[in-house]
Amino acid sequence: MAGEDNGEFYLRYYVGHKGKFGHEFLEFEFRPDGKLRYANNSNYKNDTMIRKEVFLTPAVLKECRRIIAESEIMKEDDNNWPEPDRVGRQELEIVMGNEHISFTTSKIGSLVDVQSSKDPEGLRIFYYLVQDLKCFVFSLISLHFKIKPI
Amino acid sequence: MATADVEAVDFEPEDDDLMDEDGPVEVEVSPRAPPPKLKSAITGGSTSLSAPKKTKGRGFREEADAERNNRFASKDFDSLDSGGGPGPQRSIEGWIILVTGVHEEAQEDDLQNVFGEFGEIRNLHLNLDRRTGFVKGYAMIEYENFEEAQAAISEMNGAELLTHTITVDWAFSNGPFKRRSMRRRSPRGHRSRSPRRRY
Repeated sequence: MAGEDNGEFYLRYYVGHKGKFGHEFLEFEFRPDGKLRYANNSNYKNDTMIRKEVFLTPAVLKECRRIIAESEIMKEDDNNWPEPDRVGRQELEIVMGNEHISFTTSKIGSLVDVQSSKDPEGLRIFYYLVQDLKCFVFSLISLHFKIKPI
Repeated sequence: MATADVEAVDFEPEDDDLMDEDGPVEVEVSPRAPPPKLKSAITGGSTSLSAPKKTKGRGFREEADAERNNRFASKDFDSLDSGGGPGPQRSIEGWIILVTGVHEEAQEDDLQNVFGEFGEIRNLHLNLDRRTGFVKGYAMIEYENFEEAQAAISEMNGAELLTHTITVDWAFSNGPFKRRSMRRRSPRGHRSRSPRRRY
């Protein structure tokens, strides 16, 4: 699959909002040298910021690329997605092969939000990809550090 | 970058005179958007970006850089102590391997049966595709000892599981990898392989 095996790779995902508990967010990034960074800031009740980083093997990055390539997210565009709002924002930035996307949108509560948007097909791809990526990252972080993300 | 823009504007009054003589003025000259800025602190300014990228998305048109850089700028990310040098890194309670090419209908028992042969599996993550509900295609397995994990990798990488060829490798590394060193084999990789297994 194009862009899966060679060339550069970078990924960053952010979801967060600013509210009465301050700036609460979750963010992770895969860097080209294999470093995975994970940050989770919640000010609710206990004021803790979790920041973890660990180097991954090429095998893990390759699997990450496969998940992205198979989602075909690089073909989408965020033009018709809901704009980030007071409730929150999501950002997904990916460099893969010769393409660089930096998408932003609001938080997506459920598939109902996807369905009622102006680009349900594209947003659905984003919606599921983000869940699959979070799942992948949470497994890595929780196995390595024995913390329970979120 | 901001100063450059301001200076460019200063020259415009003179330019206008010249342009008038050329007939219809292209109004698009000044409103033309500056080239998209790479938002990422990592890729931005990196010289490794050889070819110009095709960029897409609203993220390139926003100015939230400062805040985002703050989020990741700080150096105080926790990491486990690594021995330094190349090679796999130990996780807090054991050694984690990644299995890829896992059949979408694989069950935890299938992996347990095969990988339990190399030692007690302390943890097994077999994540599902959120859309289809089938296995996403990878599994992460934790062993207590390095030798168990190494044996699982040596024996099972390239083996067949439920008709799929799987790859098995370490998940975590002591340091960054470079493209060139990616193909380097571990010393054990050179030993003659036992025949491929099927399960």
